[in-house]
Amino acid sequence: MSNLYRNIWKGMVVLMVLSLALASCAPAATSTPTAQPQPTTVPKPTTPPQPTTAPTAAPIAAATAVPTAELAMPPFVSKPTTHVMADGYVCPEPQPKVPLTSKEVNLFVWTEYIPQDTLDCFQLVYGIKVNRDEYSANEEMYAKLSAGSTNYDLVQPTDFIVGLMIRQGLLQKLDKGKLPVLSYFDSKYLNLGFDPNNDYTIPYQAGTDSIVYNADKVKTPPTSFADLWKPEYAGRLVMLDDSRAILGATLLTLGYDVNTKDPAQIDAAKTKFAELAKGVKLFDSDSPKTALIAGDVDLGITWTGEAFLAAKENPSIKYVYAKEGAIVWQDNYAIPKSAPHLDAAYAWLNYSMQPDMFWLMLRDFPYTNPVQGALDYAKSDTAKVKDADGNDVTPADLYKAYIDSPVTNTPLEALKAGHRIDDVGDALPLYDKAWTEVKGQ
Amino acid sequence: MMLKRLRERRSLQGTLLISPALLWMIVLLIIPLLLVVVTSFGGRDPDGNVIYQFSLDNYTRLMGVPSGGFDPNCAPIAWPALAAIIGLPSLVGILVRFVSRRAQGESRSAAILRRAFKPYVFVAAAFWVYVGVNIYSACADALYVGILGRSLELAFWTTLLVIALGYPLAYFIARAAPKRRNLLLFLVLIPLWTNFVIRVYAWIIILRESGVLNGILATIATALPFLGPFKPTEILYTQNAVLIGMIYEFLPFMILPMFTSLEKIEVSLYEAAADLGANTLKTFLRVTLPLSLPGMVAGTILVFVPVMGTFIVSDILGGRQVILVGNLIQRQFLDARDPAFGSAASIILMVMTLVITIYYTRRFGFGEEVTAA
Amino acid sequence: MSNRRSPWLRLFSYFVYAFLYFPIVVLIVFAFNSSRTNVTFEGVVNIPDQCGPFYWFCVLFKDQHVLEAAGNTLKIALTSTVVSTIIGTMAALALQRYTFKAKAFSEVSLYIPIIIPEIVMGISILVLFSAVFTWLNGALGLMGDARLSMGLGTVILSHIAFSIPFVVLVVRARLVAFDRSVEEAAMDLGANEWQTFRRVTLPLIMPGVLSGAMLAFTLSLDDFIITFFTNGPGSTTLPIYVYGLLRRIITPEVNALSTVWIVVVFLVLLLSQRLQRRSV
Repeated sequence: MSNLYRNIWKGMVVLMVLSLALASCAPAATSTPTAQPQPTTVPKPTTPPQPTTAPTAAPIAAATAVPTAELAMPPFVSKPTTHVMADGYVCPEPQPKVPLTSKEVNLFVWTEYIPQDTLDCFQLVYGIKVNRDEYSANEEMYAKLSAGSTNYDLVQPTDFIVGLMIRQGLLQKLDKGKLPVLSYFDSKYLNLGFDPNNDYTIPYQAGTDSIVYNADKVKTPPTSFADLWKPEYAGRLVMLDDSRAILGATLLTLGYDVNTKDPAQIDAAKTKFAELAKGVKLFDSDSPKTALIAGDVDLGITWTGEAFLAAKENPSIKYVYAKEGAIVWQDNYAIPKSAPHLDAAYAWLNYSMQPDMFWLMLRDFPYTNPVQGALDYAKSDTAKVKDADGNDVTPADLYKAYIDSPVTNTPLEALKAGHRIDDVGDALPLYDKAWTEVKGQ
Repeated sequence: MMLKRLRERRSLQGTLLISPALLWMIVLLIIPLLLVVVTSFGGRDPDGNVIYQFSLDNYTRLMGVPSGGFDPNCAPIAWPALAAIIGLPSLVGILVRFVSRRAQGESRSAAILRRAFKPYVFVAAAFWVYVGVNIYSACADALYVGILGRSLELAFWTTLLVIALGYPLAYFIARAAPKRRNLLLFLVLIPLWTNFVIRVYAWIIILRESGVLNGILATIATALPFLGPFKPTEILYTQNAVLIGMIYEFLPFMILPMFTSLEKIEVSLYEAAADLGANTLKTFLRVTLPLSLPGMVAGTILVFVPVMGTFIVSDILGGRQVILVGNLIQRQFLDARDPAFGSAASIILMVMTLVITIYYTRRFGFGEEVTAA
Repeated sequence: MSNRRSPWLRLFSYFVYAFLYFPIVVLIVFAFNSSRTNVTFEGVVNIPDQCGPFYWFCVLFKDQHVLEAAGNTLKIALTSTVVSTIIGTMAALALQRYTFKAKAFSEVSLYIPIIIPEIVMGISILVLFSAVFTWLNGALGLMGDARLSMGLGTVILSHIAFSIPFVVLVVRARLVAFDRSVEEAAMDLGANEWQTFRRVTLPLIMPGVLSGAMLAFTLSLDDFIITFFTNGPGSTTLPIYVYGLLRRIITPEVNALSTVWIVVVFLVLLLSQRLQRRSV
């Protein structure tokens, strides 16, 4: 089995070289729409001929070495299966498709974060059952996992809690030889501080927390987190139910670091947040857009994807990057130490994030997408599918909307000005306590 | 000899019959509760793991003792002084009462004195409570006691309003013609059978700002322009939304046992009361109400206990900023990663509901009406 | 006695009924909403080739997860009802008929679950299972699918635990009103204890046993809190599933599910009423 994987990597290195050569002489040959059968001229990535002696981590190392990620990426050729979803989406063939011995796989994921088509296709193509349980806070996921009596195969921790989970021995090291999908990732999202070599996690989606407001109702739009304290907004606010993000934004308004461990600063943030909390109508980390669209609240702090989807329902809902700099985050996949269905977990990672599958995120849950291969694939695919409202869309349209929107395609300056939340270790109880106390008042 | 053996045999049979149920209760009730008690004395390490130890920290934190101990100057000295001065005469009253009870037969003057002091004791007690609350909130960290108090308050209002809504309906059903009675009761049962979570959800649609309720109110306002301009009500994500949700959830639990009690009252009793010249009000106060008390007690327990312990209603309708004990406990286990503190909170909650229900059932009696639900 | 009822009482009662049914009517009406976000009613949905006005019902019945959750709910409810009814009836007989050593203790421990908040029971069972499973998995070196974990099993065990006391309560109420001379007569006529129980006692307490079972079934079907703390992968019940749906953007699919639920409950209740009337 491992031989097969090694061969795949070798093949990819070869393909990389080939594609470089191809790109220099025939630029049009790299992309093919799904509907068409595969052109025979492009070699299949799954059947690599020449053996080379590249180590398993080579593609990633190569990706970081080469300045532009697109160049390092093997061209992706989609292969359709006969399974067609109700919305017109054709399940692609997994590349590679590995035989599984497990009969099911247990996902523990964020609410509203996995496209239904992905779940259905995986079940159809592999013929095993996917159990999906959901959580709406990293802390909730951590608590259930550390209670020790769960059988999850995959979890989706956000950056700041990864360190804690590794320290507590809750995660297992990933076998990157079993993750060919990694070669399609944009290296920008790899090797980040919370998991320097991506030993335990691979990126899922990234985004920011910043200000959202309804332009119809809010006459003077806020431009900074500090503006949210204005009395005119009281009673109309929605906030994520997330202690680190919201207290982090509060710390920023005071001029402190989002990852401060100083009890006095956290206490000051608590006092300041208590003023704001009186005017907060709703704390929601599941679907804050619902209340925004319904008009129950007019402004607040949410994630990018929620703001994007809300704007689709009601174009007057706007997202602005706060002057202090938005909170920047990245969600990741990780495998718990006790995962009982390892083969299925790897199969899930490879298949669900495969370029011709992962572009579905642009339609269903449009956050910042770390799989460059998926973006490239979507750019030129014009097969029609239906979106949640029943309208026809094409991946190319979705790609354009994604790239053009500063909400999903985070501008570089916003990213630079952003603040990433880190593990604060011993200071974590201080944040927990401050949060509970303010909300309990 | 025979008798003794028979008794032993019967004892053995009884033990055999009870053992599965007892085993279940020991394994899934008694042992878990003991574990929670043990955990509640523990602490947490920085990563949120439970440290098993014996410390009362969780309980003192719940009671609101500040982490550095009480500040001696936290409350103005005038309050305790005032309380003492006002309280002194009532102390005399209590003393007189105590002495006169001790003495064989109460003397006339002592009785007069006691009666004179009786209303005063209440006034003084109220004042003491007032001063006590003030000193407490000035000196202690009232957060968790406040959450407990708010839950109690909500449970109290829910129970009261559920009785107010449910009693007349239970009476109406009990007095209806037997043929219609079944149908009317059936109609109370159906909402109870639709799922708990679904029942809360319905109220989101109704109470939200662009919801059904405001739609109806707006229609009324346009039809009757003299009422003034229409302003939409904001109920969803407030305490009132939680109260409405709770009332709706638990109303049937009150109606059913009350109906069982009311149905048992013989018609002849009313006739007797009428023959003796009692008017409707008097009949109600002297006959109906006392005889329906067991049902009301059972209903109160069936409503009060779950209201104290639920967290979904406040979660969904309260916008996650109305925090009750249930939410506090759930948060400690799932969000704040402090199971030890959560355990302490649930022990307090359990003790509180046990004390209240036991006192209540002792006071008013506990009928078989619980089974009616 | 109907002349005793004042019109005000009647009016008030109708008002309470309206309060009870208004949300249910709203739920059902919104199941036909054409607006996906389901905030305001924007007309009846009508997609000709997709079930017309019943669009959301079709969406519902295609939803594999709903069907699975419904299956889990029934599995859990049926198992826990059967087990708790048998165990509970035995316990009721023991408590009402026999004297034995641990009687007082049994009485108390079977009374506690009725008067402590469900959340306390839920978290205590969670604490127990976490501790025991962690220990056992470590001690026995269990790996993969053999590992003990939260799931259908733990949910069923806990549902049985909270149902038993209610079954005991109901069956005992029936036993109190029981005329023992019938049993004595049977014994006098030469029946042994088992025959007496089988032929005389059981048929007489059967209505109590059945209503105990009914109560256990209802409690299990409706339970959210204890299931919330004891479930794991693959044991999602309908209430847990609905709660999950509520946390997302709420489409009329939830209303369709509620409507189906209400209609099924209504039909079952109606049927059981009919059957009862016939048997009486």
